[in-house]
Amino acid sequence: MAVETPAAATAAPRRPPRGPLRRPRFWRHGSETVAAWLFLLPSLAGFLVFTAGPVVAAGVISLLDWNLFSPPHFIGLDNFARLGPDTTFWSALGNTAYFTFVSVPLTLLVSLGLALLLNQGLRRMAVFRSLLLLPYATITVAVAFVWVWLYIPHDGLINAVLGAFGIDGPAWLVSDDWAMPALILMSVWKSFGFGMVIFLAGLQVIPQQLYEAARVDGASPWRTFRAVTLPLLSPSVFFTVVTSIIGSFQVFDQALVMTDGGPGSSTTTLVMYIYRTGFQNYEQGYAAAQSMVLFAFIVVITAAQFLLQRRLVHYDL
Amino acid sequence: MSSSFPRRALLKGAALGGLATTGALSGCSSGPPPGTATWSMWSSSPEENRVWADFGRYVERRMHIRSASTLTPSDGYPTKLDLQLVSGTAGMVTALNGWLIPTYASRGAHRPLDDLIAADPDFDLDDFYPAIRSISSFADHTYAIGFDVAPTVLYYNRTLLERNGVDPPSPTEPMSWDTFRDLAIELSKPKDQYGFTCAPTIDDLVSWIYCAGGDVLDGDRDTSPLDAPEALQAIHYVVDLFVKDRVTPPIDNLVAQNASGASLANFLQGNVAFMQNGPWQVLNVRKAPFTWDIVPFPAGPAGSTPRVSGSGFAIPSGVKDDDLDLAWRLLKTLTSTGALNIYARAGRNNPARVSAASAFEPPPANLGIVQRILKGEVAGGHPFNVTTNWNRVRLLLGQDLPRAFLGQVSAREAIDGVMPRLNALMRQHRDAVRQAT
Repeated sequence: MAVETPAAATAAPRRPPRGPLRRPRFWRHGSETVAAWLFLLPSLAGFLVFTAGPVVAAGVISLLDWNLFSPPHFIGLDNFARLGPDTTFWSALGNTAYFTFVSVPLTLLVSLGLALLLNQGLRRMAVFRSLLLLPYATITVAVAFVWVWLYIPHDGLINAVLGAFGIDGPAWLVSDDWAMPALILMSVWKSFGFGMVIFLAGLQVIPQQLYEAARVDGASPWRTFRAVTLPLLSPSVFFTVVTSIIGSFQVFDQALVMTDGGPGSSTTTLVMYIYRTGFQNYEQGYAAAQSMVLFAFIVVITAAQFLLQRRLVHYDL
Repeated sequence: MSSSFPRRALLKGAALGGLATTGALSGCSSGPPPGTATWSMWSSSPEENRVWADFGRYVERRMHIRSASTLTPSDGYPTKLDLQLVSGTAGMVTALNGWLIPTYASRGAHRPLDDLIAADPDFDLDDFYPAIRSISSFADHTYAIGFDVAPTVLYYNRTLLERNGVDPPSPTEPMSWDTFRDLAIELSKPKDQYGFTCAPTIDDLVSWIYCAGGDVLDGDRDTSPLDAPEALQAIHYVVDLFVKDRVTPPIDNLVAQNASGASLANFLQGNVAFMQNGPWQVLNVRKAPFTWDIVPFPAGPAGSTPRVSGSGFAIPSGVKDDDLDLAWRLLKTLTSTGALNIYARAGRNNPARVSAASAFEPPPANLGIVQRILKGEVAGGHPFNVTTNWNRVRLLLGQDLPRAFLGQVSAREAIDGVMPRLNALMRQHRDAVRQAT
């Protein structure tokens, strides 16, 4: 007769045995997981409804001929075929590329320069930092209106200052040659605060011992900047470049307020053209096709940056 | 007794509360209750807001139902209306600027009103000026009932003219183009004083083109007659006022110049002798710190026949059944003599009804010429004829013509540059008309 030993009696499992019958992690930490999902849900719902949904919808609409009011008709890829001979579309894309590839490096240089300056341990740095961040924190349309006044050829402040140095300033916003540079200048002023804050945060986490070691080794300031600061700042630079390029490809409000795309179409940006196609010309399908092309451009450029990241971005020395 | 509230429980509560709030807000509906008279209108100033508030009270008094108006600044009005029409949230009656009527009519966004007019013996369409009836029609159907109509006129700064020893122009005999140009040059002599202001846009330029006997569109052909000698003569004349004669304030900003109020802002500064504009600006010019008046538009080779513009109320296609009956009654009330008397007494613009016209009272002293021009007693006018894709025409010309006004290209070069694209838009317009009919 088998006798149950006390040890066997006390060995009865208090938890389910390991193996296939074990409860999954989700249920084991059920209450925490549910709470996490509850917190994530509004954000996730917002992403699905306001970001992913519209992208999918734009993809579907790009295959339609739809003037908003009449029933849409499926026309396949005809809207994409229209893009080829549309000189205004390519001109708008060219203007957007011009804006992006001039304004982004300029903004980065100004941001980095100011961040380095503020990182020197200036007194009242918080005040300077706040003041320099103000343009970024201000609504673009309001800033654009102020710059329109600054750019007035005859009575504007910019030409008045140039005049004090004997320079006859251009007719900024109505000049074929100067309208885009004027937009870029305003955008750099508006945007540098964002990069400056990111760079400043990056600079402040670089270990001081590295600078001390460089000093002991007799490295010049420029050599220290190249060998220590820039490599350790590269994640911040990478983040700022990616977000700035994406933002610049979507430039719209300042161009609309300051030049309305003119003179001619010299400052018509791609998003402005998309808006006009969709809501002034009532060609929703064609506007959606343009949006998809813009989306593809941004995806390709961002993917290229992430590929380059492997070679250029250093997360440690 | 103290009670503890664990952090985890607090966070869970916050998450659930947030979700509940989000759900509650998404389920809310803020639309007016059924049976409310809903209508949409543009409004860009407190003065205009007051006029529409008076309209709302008038509707409630006459119809014994609640009135709910949606007022939007004029610049954003068409876009908002588009979205409301598509989403089915537009008012049962919507205001439409005349140049947008063919656009909406050809796309089926608004319904023709002929059946409602025919079934209503109380409604007298003949009480409306012929110009607004023409502007409110598309493909031989009436799509809107007008609430204002007026020709472009010439405002002049009487104080400035007197200071320069110049007699005021005749309120009944339009100046010739040559006389006007000479006067504008004479009044531009002192520094920072200018003879004339207008916007370098097709909407202002078209009045000169009509006065030269030209047009932007010709319904019988595939091509625009904008490069015809008559139109080119007018474009050359106005461009010369800007570039050669330099009688206009410098163009500093294309966006501001495109805005309807840009030339008004120039005029209100007090250093501009003449401004091309419509009587819809009387309300705003009354704020001017100088004396002023209006006279007929200068007469070109075809006489004084500037553009006559107007606006009306229309019913969206989605309004049906009982709502349609209510919408028609609302539309009739909003365009009744009583309502338009409110509109005219406020000086908002010349009313579209002949029976309400006398309410549009001076000042200025010559305001009566507006009605006399519409009746054909003084000078004349030309209905502002537009295409079903006028937005695109306007955008095309708005982008390319300013270069001529800035002296960057000649008027001829600017016109030659746009003609292929303009003709493509004309063909598109003709196709849209054919499909709609």
